[in-house]
Amino acid sequence: MSPDRSQTAYAESAADLARRVLGALKGAGGTALVAEHVERADDPKAALAALRVVGADTFAPFLLGDSVFHPQDAAAFATSFTIFPPPVTSPTPPPAGPAEPWVVAWRDWAMAELLGRFTAPEGPAPAGSAAAGLAELTGIDTAEVTGVRAPQPQGAPLLADDRLRAAYGAGGPRAREAVRVPEGSYAADRLHATDAGYAADAPASAAEAAGLDWQRWSVRMGQLSPLALPGLDGPVHRAARGAPLALARGASRALLRRDHPTAARIVRWLAFLGSDGVPLPLELPPLIEHLELLGGGGPRIALDLAIARRLLALEPSA
Amino acid sequence: MTASVTQTAHQVSSKALAWLHTHHQRGALPDDTTADLGDPNSVYKPLGETALAGTLVLREAATGTTELRVARELIDYCWRQFGEGAMLYERLLRYPMMSDPLETYSHFTRVGYRHEPLERLLAHTTRLRTVRGVEQVPNRKLAVANATRVVGLDAEPHAYDWDELARATWLGGTPEPWLIDWMTGYSLTHAVFHLTDWGARPNGLSHELTEYVSTWLPVWIDIWAEIEQWDLVAELMIVGCCLERPYCDAADWELLARVQHADGLMPRDGDPVSDDPDERFEHHQHTAVVAAVAGTLAVSRTLGGGQHAPADR
Repeated sequence: MSPDRSQTAYAESAADLARRVLGALKGAGGTALVAEHVERADDPKAALAALRVVGADTFAPFLLGDSVFHPQDAAAFATSFTIFPPPVTSPTPPPAGPAEPWVVAWRDWAMAELLGRFTAPEGPAPAGSAAAGLAELTGIDTAEVTGVRAPQPQGAPLLADDRLRAAYGAGGPRAREAVRVPEGSYAADRLHATDAGYAADAPASAAEAAGLDWQRWSVRMGQLSPLALPGLDGPVHRAARGAPLALARGASRALLRRDHPTAARIVRWLAFLGSDGVPLPLELPPLIEHLELLGGGGPRIALDLAIARRLLALEPSA
Repeated sequence: MTASVTQTAHQVSSKALAWLHTHHQRGALPDDTTADLGDPNSVYKPLGETALAGTLVLREAATGTTELRVARELIDYCWRQFGEGAMLYERLLRYPMMSDPLETYSHFTRVGYRHEPLERLLAHTTRLRTVRGVEQVPNRKLAVANATRVVGLDAEPHAYDWDELARATWLGGTPEPWLIDWMTGYSLTHAVFHLTDWGARPNGLSHELTEYVSTWLPVWIDIWAEIEQWDLVAELMIVGCCLERPYCDAADWELLARVQHADGLMPRDGDPVSDDPDERFEHHQHTAVVAAVAGTLAVSRTLGGGQHAPADR
């Protein structure tokens, strides 16, 4: 298989899995949706790769819907980690290290973390009949597969302007007060000028050392949106909780730029905060509906939006 | 080391003003112009806008003596073009329901230029229910109300209900910030200009609307800068200067300084700029006016100015 063809197969399989997860989240669930995705695939390797692409979001129907997690599902995840193992050591966070592997490491962590949670009381996933079936398909002896390990990466996306971090921070009168301070006003423009993206002569890493402007920061947070699920917590979640205004601006900007996938991912974070009772500068239901109707569709966006709806306890879309 | 907002804004506005001054005679009314004005938008309206820029430079008085002299000369030139008010008077005599003589005249009155018969006539027309009731989009109604206020014709019982006027605008509804088009962008800027009288009365924007604009202005500046709509970007930067706590971002100012041509021309957008001097003036004079106003207000606000008018009349 050529690399291109393999990329296409992976993308198709990821879309297929996203559709399954979406269906399960909306209540159209069979049993063992994850294992079924792998077992019914023409290309099991692509199906296992898709598990890593959709990642923690695969757990949404178990966390937010009423799907039941089966041992066969756990085995499928474990196999996926065996075939596509995460790096043993955690990548250096940006700006010292490149952003992409670090983002992937965070997503792997989220997936492993949730897998651990769903398999915890019984210990590692037993290699049952389904696991044996997987072994046949993949040539991997899943009986050998024990717990899945993905080290927790260090750090979180760093936002340059600390007034944005404060704004809407913890709710209550002080947070409301904070948002009245327009970010980047002349009093603090020195900070803002160093990282605003237009002054792009400086290397990206140098700009990132001082923190990202709200535009880039919100995009980076969007890349980490699979972490925006109940039960997960860590520095990335704290970063989100500290900057609802930057997230709201980022979502609005992405939508205005017609970057609908990014908008939907950032909306996930806003919904996550909303579910925590954090005051938001944006009304989310019309934004979610707008993205559903005008966002160009596709299972990936639909899944992000369905998760956002569930987080906010909104009625599912028609 | 980056230059401060004040420095950059001063540089941008000085260059824009100088460019307007160098080329101002290209914007003269044709010799055969009458008060009828076949095409009011071609020369008449831009002359009024140049006058506005000049009078705001004088109002803020936050610039050097060269800029003050240039501003004064531009105002004088525009005033002469309008027959020192006589042409505006004739136009209002002929079209008593039109608001443009009032709006154009109001700029000059800021700096003490008066035309008594015009003012007498305006005192009459601006109070008529038929004139006040002309159907216009809400931000245009605000423009007329502000012009009436600036000329001083809004004393009780003819004061405007500013809250009601503000509520009727797009901005007044604090709409979803993620769905806005280019024309609506202009509408929102003008609502802010007129409510605050171009930054002289930041309190003219209610607390709720101030918070709303402060929250979303960076997003709108960002997206229109990305597609190089410099005219609208600079208008939005004026909006930032009109807020109680001004939003004047150094990166925005550096960006505007970079797109400004060496001769002071400020391109209206990212399209190629003509080499023909008349065409350059025609296409880009509005953006020069906007840049001059934005820079003037940014300098003034970053130096702590901007509370010229009492909170209530």
